[in-house]
Amino acid sequence: MNGNAPTQRPAQAPGVFAAVGLPPIIWLLALFLAPLAVIWAYSFGENRTLVDIAITGNWANYARALKPLYLAILMKSLGFAALTTLICFILGLPVALAISFASPRGKLLLLLAVMLPFWTNLLVRTYALMAILRTEGLINAGLGAVWNALAVPLDADPFTPLPLINNNFAVVLGLVYVHLPFMVLPLYAALDRLDRSLIEASLDLGAGHLATLWRVVVPLALPGIVSGVIITFIPALGAYLTPDLLGGTSSQMIANVIERQFRSANDWPFGAALSFLLMYMTFAALLLQAFIRRRSEAAR
Amino acid sequence: MRAGPLDYLARWPLRLWLALVGLFLYLPLVSLVVFSFNDSRRISVWRGFSLGWYRTLFEDGELVAAFGNSLVIAAASTLISLVLGTAAAILLWRFRFAGKAALEATLGLPVVVPEICLGVAFLVFFTAVVPWPTELPWPLNLGAIIIAHASFSFSFVALVVRARLASFDPALAEAARDLGAGEWAIFRDIMVPHLVPGLVAGALLAFTLSLDDFVITFFTSGPDTITFPIKVYSMVRFSVTPAVNAASTLLILLTAALTALALWLQGADIAKQAAA
Amino acid sequence: MPEVSRRALGGLAIALALEGCSRRWPKGANGEEQRLNFYNWDTYTGETTLADFEAATGIEVTMSHYGNNDELFARLRAGNPGYDVIVPSNEFVTRLQISGMLSPLDHARLPNKANLAPQFVDVPYDPGRRWSMPYTWLALGIGYRKSRVDGVPDSWKWVLDSDRYSGRIGLLAEGDDLIRLGAKYLGHSVNGVTPAIMEQVTQMLIRQKRHVKLFHHDEGQDLLAAGEIDLVVEYNGDIAQVMAEDDDLDFVVPREGTLLNSDCLCIPAGAPRPDNAHRFINFLLDATVGAGIADTIRYPTPNGAALALMPADYRDNRAIFPAGPGMERSEYGRFRSIGHIRAVEEAITRVMAA
Repeated sequence: MNGNAPTQRPAQAPGVFAAVGLPPIIWLLALFLAPLAVIWAYSFGENRTLVDIAITGNWANYARALKPLYLAILMKSLGFAALTTLICFILGLPVALAISFASPRGKLLLLLAVMLPFWTNLLVRTYALMAILRTEGLINAGLGAVWNALAVPLDADPFTPLPLINNNFAVVLGLVYVHLPFMVLPLYAALDRLDRSLIEASLDLGAGHLATLWRVVVPLALPGIVSGVIITFIPALGAYLTPDLLGGTSSQMIANVIERQFRSANDWPFGAALSFLLMYMTFAALLLQAFIRRRSEAAR
Repeated sequence: MRAGPLDYLARWPLRLWLALVGLFLYLPLVSLVVFSFNDSRRISVWRGFSLGWYRTLFEDGELVAAFGNSLVIAAASTLISLVLGTAAAILLWRFRFAGKAALEATLGLPVVVPEICLGVAFLVFFTAVVPWPTELPWPLNLGAIIIAHASFSFSFVALVVRARLASFDPALAEAARDLGAGEWAIFRDIMVPHLVPGLVAGALLAFTLSLDDFVITFFTSGPDTITFPIKVYSMVRFSVTPAVNAASTLLILLTAALTALALWLQGADIAKQAAA
Repeated sequence: MPEVSRRALGGLAIALALEGCSRRWPKGANGEEQRLNFYNWDTYTGETTLADFEAATGIEVTMSHYGNNDELFARLRAGNPGYDVIVPSNEFVTRLQISGMLSPLDHARLPNKANLAPQFVDVPYDPGRRWSMPYTWLALGIGYRKSRVDGVPDSWKWVLDSDRYSGRIGLLAEGDDLIRLGAKYLGHSVNGVTPAIMEQVTQMLIRQKRHVKLFHHDEGQDLLAAGEIDLVVEYNGDIAQVMAEDDDLDFVVPREGTLLNSDCLCIPAGAPRPDNAHRFINFLLDATVGAGIADTIRYPTPNGAALALMPADYRDNRAIFPAGPGMERSEYGRFRSIGHIRAVEEAITRVMAA
């Protein structure tokens, strides 16, 4: 990216270095890393009184976070996130493929069309889905109208609305709905860079489209695919609003438990430990991504 | 012209797939907008066209104030993000120094750290560590939220500006320096004009990120610093009427307008960047 | 449309301009600025209460809302951001007081305390009423739709331990309350929840969960009125409000007894205008003012003098003033300890995760 960039040492232009260096670095340290560091410190603390927290330096909170109860919630969150990522991949790959083979103008329009919902407020998107899925929402109202018009005159029971909301189905649907654009863009970027001649060669040699997809396209586009997977998986794992609004009585994810520790359970140290567990998992996923990228680059 | 083997877009299975995904993505949003004009309390049974719910919104003092808060927070955090992001971009573009890789990694953190972790970090920070002073006049009392938003959006601005910097020819700056121009003059008269599309795109990005944010704002706002998404959240929880649809539609329109503006300004850069 | 947008833009501009200037209030005879920050529950005051106070004293009241006691506590945790009067529930009066977050009340400045009904003059959670004055009292119970329920569901069994109304039940999301109601159903005191009892209740709730449609955060009465659920665990005042609009709804306190609460007026430590705060609390304890509040919010009032002024449809309202064996067995809850809170939290997480 920095093909023709100057690469000076700070000593060569100390004034400029200070002017462009100090503000962002100081801000990062004081107003981004510091809050995270405080949370990290709290994860090693405990509630002495209702308001005082003592940093004890022991791992008690982490030990508690790894108890079966919380581990199970973590597993469920991982499961939701994995399922969401899988569905987004299956839905998104053909879309990304189609866009990458469109005309330049078509690409722009289609990308815009895919990204526009992404640029809408998360709450608005979740609420839009709620309105569709509710007992008296659009889907049920529509199905009900059709049912009542066709089946009831034939002596069938009146329409019972489908339970499309306040359950795990709604949570996964909501997560897919919110994160699909996250998957499409990196997939598109990777597919767009592909050498078309390889695909043509594969087709010429007699492989079908699906086989070509699986054995030529996917391996070549692997770094991009992994990017898309990570970019979808991590936010889905830490999702708060979707399970909160769309979930039922057994849909809580890790972010909901974390929120409760800070807002109603008044147990900041434990909430901090849970937050950091989530972050460690995020970093692990990123390391995995870097590892895969390095391996696939070495293989070229 | 017959479609070639790679002309996937012309094939009907793929077109159908695209159409279905498009329907999935847009049906909820379109229905949301449509029912904001519903002449009834129901949000899924159409009774007639009415602007009544928009009137209700504008008459709800709290909602208008919340919207005002959101706009101010977005503007302020955008300004801060622009300054910090541009500075960071120039720093990384021009200089080579010890710890550069670490700085780049740290700059990448706000993009990957889960929002809930950032939200609770800022909550604790502004409650227990550096309590934001109380009884501040508006808009200073929004300071905690503004700082939180700036913290997570300036990385995005740095990314965008850095991409734009990649196409800047340092020879121009060199020539100006040889002619005796000072660093500030070079920045103001040569670099900034070149960076303008990136700056505008970055600004719009930061503004939208701030306006759209829910989780981080949820944790850093208080009863006297209610923002638009928070107010809509309590409306969604307690009274689901087309008023919520109307409020959401306004937000969608604002975001769409800003995005369209950003893309129009960036033009061809987008397609190139997306492939980069 | 032009009329709406012009008015709206104008309103927005004025609102922004006004708020942009920092305000100065004149000082009253007591040396304090003539204003007051009142931190209260949502829709929990009379229609003209604040305006009447300003008319009587010249003190302007700014009211902000919180959704639950934890939010109030979290807000005050790091220091009082400028509130003068708050309305915590009885257990939180205890929590706030032991954390040093309350200012003691000066009874000399609260002559209207003579209006209080006798049972509120001295209470276990605030002996001698050093820190609080009662504002309302509440009882948890079962709100239900008469036409969809057999008879009167006068036992917690129907919501906590039975599949009779499967899929039509709404429970309170407040973990502490759920556990204690469960304990009450099993015949124990709300303040005597041992680990063994907590385990019993947790198992019962886990078994019951598949029959529960949803857990609500205080919008239970709206869900009942909308027909989403037919039985809901809610506060008597909330159900009384929707009963006024729908004859098919009713409220009952189960015969095993229930948890009682009392929302109390307190002055947080570090309140900038303690004298105004005392004047406001005294104003709220006035008989006529109290009657006005009760008439709007439909919660039972602890103010005996105000009660005497209320019409029969309030005093005899069985939702607002529940009676019967259930009420005789009802108790106020008590704050236990940090360890107990953590145990409750974990129990509820287990129920939610099951």
